[in-house]
Amino acid sequence: MQKESPIREPLILGDKSYHDITIDVAKPVLAKANKMWWIVFGISLVLFVWWILSVGYTIGTGIGVWGLNKTVGWAWDITNFVWWVGIGHAGTLISAVLLLFRQKWRLSINRSAEAMTIFAVVQAGTFPLLHMGRPWLAYWVFPIPNNFGSLWVNFNSPLLWDVFAISTYFSVSFVFWYVGLIPDFAMIRDKVNEKYWPMRKKIYSILSFGWSGRAKDWQRFEEVSLVLAGLATPLVFSVHSIVSFDFATSVIPGWHTTIFPPYFVAGAVFSGFAMVQTLLLVMRKVVGLEAYITIKHVEYMNIVIMLTGNLVGIAYLTELFMAWYSGVEFEQYAFLNRATGPYWWAYWIMMTCNVISPQLMWFKKLRTNIVFTFILALFVNIGMWFERFVIIVTSIHRDYLPSSWTMFSPTFVDIGIFVGSIGFFFVLFLLYSRTFPVIAQAELKTIVKSSSEQYKK
Amino acid sequence: MTKQKKYWKGLAELANDPLVDKLKENEFIEEIPVDDFLGDDKNLSETSTSRRDFLKFLGFSTAAATLAACETPIIKSIPYVVKPEEITPGVANWYASTFYDGNDFANILVKTREGRPIFIKGNDLPSSSPNARVISSVLSLYDSNRLKGPNMNKQQVSWPEADADIINKLSNAKGDVVILTNTIISPTTQEIINSFSEKYSAKHIQYDTISYQGMLDANKESFGYRVLPSYNFEKADVIVSFGADFLGNLFNKSYEKEYIANRQPKNGKMSRHFQIESNLSLSGANADVRIPVKPSEKLNLLENLYHSLSGTSTPNPKIKNLVKELLSSKGRSIVLCDSNDKAVQIMVNAINSILENYDQTIDLSQPIFTKSGDDNSITKLISDMKDGKVSALIINGVNPSYSLSNSNEFNSALSKVDLKISTALCLDETASLCEYVFPDRHYLESWGDARASFNLVSFIQPTIQPLFDSRQFQESLLVWTGSTRTYHDYLKDYWRSKIPWSSSLQNGIVELNERKYPSTKFSATVKSIKTKITDLELSLYQSNSIGDGSQANNPWLQELPDPITRACWDNYLTISASTARQYGFSNWNISNGALNGDFARLTIGNIVLEKVPVLIQPGQAIGTVGLALGYGRTSSGKVGNGVGVNAYPLVLNNSYTSSDVKIEKIEGEHEFASVQLHHTMMGRDLIKETTLQEYLKNPKAGNEPLLYDTHKGKLAPDQIDLWQAHDHETGHFWNLGIDLTACTGCNSCVVACHAENNVPVVGKEEVRKSRDMHWLRIDRYYSSEMTDEIADEQEIGVVSMYKAMEIPSENPDVAFQPVMCQHCNHAPCETVCPVAATTHSAEGLNHMTYNRCVGTRYCANNCPYKVRRFNWFDYADNDAFDYNMNDNLGKMVLNPDVTVRVRGVMEKCSMCIQGIQKIKLDAKKEGRKITNKEALDSCACSSSCPTGAITFGDANDQSHSVTQMVDDDRSYQLLDHLNTKNSVFYQTKVRNRKS
Amino acid sequence: MSKKVIYGIFDDEEVLLNSVKEVRSKDISIKEVYSPFPIHGLDHALGLKRTRLAIAAFIYGCIGCATAIWLTYYIMILDWPMNIGGKPSFAYYLSMPAFVPVIFEMTVLFSAHLMVITYLFKCKLFPGQKTSSPDPRTTDDKFLMEIESDDDKIISTLLKKTGATEINVKEIA
Repeated sequence: MQKESPIREPLILGDKSYHDITIDVAKPVLAKANKMWWIVFGISLVLFVWWILSVGYTIGTGIGVWGLNKTVGWAWDITNFVWWVGIGHAGTLISAVLLLFRQKWRLSINRSAEAMTIFAVVQAGTFPLLHMGRPWLAYWVFPIPNNFGSLWVNFNSPLLWDVFAISTYFSVSFVFWYVGLIPDFAMIRDKVNEKYWPMRKKIYSILSFGWSGRAKDWQRFEEVSLVLAGLATPLVFSVHSIVSFDFATSVIPGWHTTIFPPYFVAGAVFSGFAMVQTLLLVMRKVVGLEAYITIKHVEYMNIVIMLTGNLVGIAYLTELFMAWYSGVEFEQYAFLNRATGPYWWAYWIMMTCNVISPQLMWFKKLRTNIVFTFILALFVNIGMWFERFVIIVTSIHRDYLPSSWTMFSPTFVDIGIFVGSIGFFFVLFLLYSRTFPVIAQAELKTIVKSSSEQYKK
Repeated sequence: MTKQKKYWKGLAELANDPLVDKLKENEFIEEIPVDDFLGDDKNLSETSTSRRDFLKFLGFSTAAATLAACETPIIKSIPYVVKPEEITPGVANWYASTFYDGNDFANILVKTREGRPIFIKGNDLPSSSPNARVISSVLSLYDSNRLKGPNMNKQQVSWPEADADIINKLSNAKGDVVILTNTIISPTTQEIINSFSEKYSAKHIQYDTISYQGMLDANKESFGYRVLPSYNFEKADVIVSFGADFLGNLFNKSYEKEYIANRQPKNGKMSRHFQIESNLSLSGANADVRIPVKPSEKLNLLENLYHSLSGTSTPNPKIKNLVKELLSSKGRSIVLCDSNDKAVQIMVNAINSILENYDQTIDLSQPIFTKSGDDNSITKLISDMKDGKVSALIINGVNPSYSLSNSNEFNSALSKVDLKISTALCLDETASLCEYVFPDRHYLESWGDARASFNLVSFIQPTIQPLFDSRQFQESLLVWTGSTRTYHDYLKDYWRSKIPWSSSLQNGIVELNERKYPSTKFSATVKSIKTKITDLELSLYQSNSIGDGSQANNPWLQELPDPITRACWDNYLTISASTARQYGFSNWNISNGALNGDFARLTIGNIVLEKVPVLIQPGQAIGTVGLALGYGRTSSGKVGNGVGVNAYPLVLNNSYTSSDVKIEKIEGEHEFASVQLHHTMMGRDLIKETTLQEYLKNPKAGNEPLLYDTHKGKLAPDQIDLWQAHDHETGHFWNLGIDLTACTGCNSCVVACHAENNVPVVGKEEVRKSRDMHWLRIDRYYSSEMTDEIADEQEIGVVSMYKAMEIPSENPDVAFQPVMCQHCNHAPCETVCPVAATTHSAEGLNHMTYNRCVGTRYCANNCPYKVRRFNWFDYADNDAFDYNMNDNLGKMVLNPDVTVRVRGVMEKCSMCIQGIQKIKLDAKKEGRKITNKEALDSCACSSSCPTGAITFGDANDQSHSVTQMVDDDRSYQLLDHLNTKNSVFYQTKVRNRKS
Repeated sequence: MSKKVIYGIFDDEEVLLNSVKEVRSKDISIKEVYSPFPIHGLDHALGLKRTRLAIAAFIYGCIGCATAIWLTYYIMILDWPMNIGGKPSFAYYLSMPAFVPVIFEMTVLFSAHLMVITYLFKCKLFPGQKTSSPDPRTTDDKFLMEIESDDDKIISTLLKKTGATEINVKEIA
């Protein structure tokens, strides 16, 4: 049994016995939803409907209903794609990397973080699909022999790398998540009273794959989690590097940049943690898990946000420096145009939200303040969306030949699909928070002795 | 001994089996005796299978076949029952013909596929270069707005009864019978009109929409002939044009070809071109020296020139060098002016005779007949009609109710005429006021002849069965004169005696060796033309696409961007930035980049034009405004109606310029459709430029090669490569060279590409969203006052430098650059396509596989040249885009060799691969190499380029002109530092100016 | 006399661990231990062998890697080599750098999924499987030790002594 120094602040507050934890985790699933939940769910549902309508309209009529044009071939679609993928990364990072580093504080948040990852990647996945001119032929991007003879895919294309990266990333994080869920589903299965809820009993026993917690199972369970964590960690880094290749391997000034992979990964962690922050702060209120998601967790995550925020900031400055140092007029103009061109406001929103505001995290007072943290997390999310917008649109709207320079402005369909995707995401997440064990209780129980408040008295 | 050798094909032969000989005899199966079978009626009638049965079987088998192929959509098709011998499915037929509509003239070749004309290009003998309007005229043939049959008071009538009625009305007409036409250059038509006139003692009035009265009368007075001279720009070393846009439209043709002929840097000399004008015209854009002045000042300068040449005064500083150069190149210069005023033109003639240009560069003995209208006669006609003197009016080829400045007057007078007959193609402004409308035939359905210049007669022959129940104007006249001959016979009989008919018809043109006009000396009194300079003056012009407005209903032309302003679907008041500021006008871009502008109220005397959009135009002379004619049609059809404003009312006493113009800003915001929103090169050397002097010193001038430092020493980008290259030495290697010195920006290639490649028309709204679909565009760049050097000198910060660079000069240098897919051999677009829909061919072409494309648009984003066009909606089959492609008649113009792209795929220039395949097959069949001429003609753009600026060919074949071009010192690749190894290359623009 | 199965239920994992050690020192074989969460050192105490899932994962990874290499080679070089952006399609080693991302992803894909499948298979976990735990509380806060023996008295007392809070004995025919 590992012991932990009493100086470390407890990760679980109050006198929580194993049973209490069980009850706390099972409660939201077994009890009725409170008003708060219904309100938030209602709003998300409305947005989701908007999403469905916009998507239907786009597929029915053609991509022309978006604001794109001959010069700006990508805008909100790919911006949203990168944004969502980025958000996804925090989940994997929290559960995988922190597991490898044996960071116990991950345990109370990793489940939701992973859930967020999966739902975010679902959102991300819709955009490359929708942005196609002929989405019904999307399956052509998979290496399958087809009815046009032995026409294959093009493995030189970063977009194809994306296909592999995103699908691998999604499926692997899904199994990682599910492997962890099995014992907790089992717990809920055993808590459900068959007399009252035969249906639920059935569902949860199916979901729990008949888990019974034998010693050997646990041994394998831990091994599998460890290996998956080991696989997922490089995966996170590779996925966002590959996403960044979409731009880095092109010839467009402002896209053709070698620092994109690390810069994008940092950005991904940055935005991801911000999103986790946003969600958990809401969830601990809505579902009532203050005891498990403590100020300590919030602070730790804020520190990560500050760190990655600064990494991103350095990346921005490096870009500017390289543009100047390269001596290439096209490169120089591209970055000048970002800061002073028609989209200067986007650039400065990005700068303020991503570089300046995280500096406030240096103050312990602020980084341990729930309200402030929440607002800042929102700022970061906005800032990171604008970062992608700046990279994509301001680079291509004025590239090599001034004759084809133009501007982009979104239509209500662009807006609908973006806002709708947020609704879609929350619909999934809220349903999850009502039906899934939102805390990895089995694993959490292993640290009660070491890091809960009662044992530290 | 060897002679004795005998080979037998088998033992049977050795054995002399009689069967063998029998087989030998009919070794080749004889043809099925269709003819004797079909010919033999008795046999036919006896057979159990009648022709009907046969057709039934045929029909059944066709149906069965179609059903069997139920995987693919079933398209009903009727096979030829009797195949016309001249038509082979899949093989184009070319017919020589002639385009003449009173405003444009060209000797053309018409490409027909399965009996449909689909493409028009210049005839080779003598090589003539159709402009954008002529090339587009093929689409006007399929205008669904055309009249379907003879009309009486908008009611369908049959020809016989209509004719009877007409003849009777004509024969007992009390007043005059008048035939109103455009300038008739057809001898036969003239004859027919004459005989008609005899019969009904009719008057024939010729009226030119765009009048050249001034020049005609001036020549009459100066030389005794009321004709237009032919200019030999190829012989002129100094060209001084006072506003005359001879590269745009000067009496029915444009002179790019002749002009460029004397502007070949490699010949070591170029003509020097001075343009003194108020609007920035195509000629002005190409001029070596451009002096922007007000129309009035222009005339004063002209007078000053005259006096300084005749030594009676000192030259105005503005034209000092000009005078010097003119004097030093007597007999090798041309001075011309666009004024429609006799006095002015007399002075121009005087100047030219002082410079001894007659019979050298200006030829009156080989005059041009395409304009001979007399504006006084139409004024007379109107007054006659008012007084009820005219009882019958037959109108052909003109649209006075639209194009007369005093059209209201004309219309009211017209109502007094009791028999009004129009032979318009569609119910235009004039026709809708006539009770009889007898639809004429489109020229592609007609017979005819034309004598545009003194010794050249060209012929018009039908290339398609008449689409509607129409009748040619000449035919009608013949009927009404009571002749029983068809016009075709008439034409044949007329020419048979004079020339070899069928060969001339085949060539489309024949040279007459008649005497010249005797050249006479200039004899006229030169009057002063001094004019008062007013603070705002207007000059009207013909836009490059719409011209005089007769083809306003042609979507290709409406969407064809003006080469200077790059705006389409509009006409607008062009105004210089400073003048605009003075009157409080401005242009601005909305959030999606589209250009918006203010409206003006334009007042000249008592004529007021409301809601005229104002477009800020660099190069526009300060204190002047320009406005294009030919817009604001009210009854041209679904496409042309209500596009722009009608400027004809501003043509006051036949002058295309007017002083004392008032403009004021009025409420509202106009939406322009401009395909180019940014006008300067931002200090990038996209168009490399030099002067003739520099070029003669160093052929690489302005084109210094870019070199990178490598471990192998300094190397050009294309010598540096990461990988071993694919082989492009063996087989064909298609290259396309564009000589920027020779490109005048005439737009012919753009519209030719549009026609050849089934490029959709997307309409104003889509163009405003920067979604124009042109595969080939002509970028136009203005010079800016700000350059890197100036910024360095004046220590201007980089930010403000770029801001300043965005603003073009008040009188900028203009440069044109046709840009199509550059067919990079290291194509950024190919690498990024996830489904390998765009790949590279062994012949150096960048292929686009439409049916493999899933439409990620990544290729377009990664294209440095932004030449890829995305099919945002189903343009080809979508009622929201009601242009030719979504119109059963309009569809007939589609080129069957080119896929019509569906929604959601990327499309782009293929270097007319259908043409390449054709010439490859032809060469293969005939077992020879592809000739240079073939190659040049295989690409729509190169075949339609009047100046030969665009050269297409096989760079692996020494006999192809492109091969020499590649190695030329002026050649460079666009954005060569990217090392995309383009198959398209450009040649430095050389201006003939003192540097 | 017939065989019996004894369930010793504990409240605390440390107590359970000690008792396991005790019981095994008495050469009594423990059939199974059910717990709500992994207990460190339990597998040692029970003398369970190390699981070889990690090795399996490694092998699966190699298979994935090989598959990816073959796929890229077959598609880009062997089956239909094309000139794409002038990039080489002559030999694998020339164009291979562009395929690294795909190869990596495929490696991870194979190793992760096949390993998890193996894990579920070995633990007999699949939808519709019934739990083998004799007491539902073992997923909550109870730890259960299952021993099969003819003589339940000794064992029950032993378990009691080592801290079991509850003993159930079941006859098995």
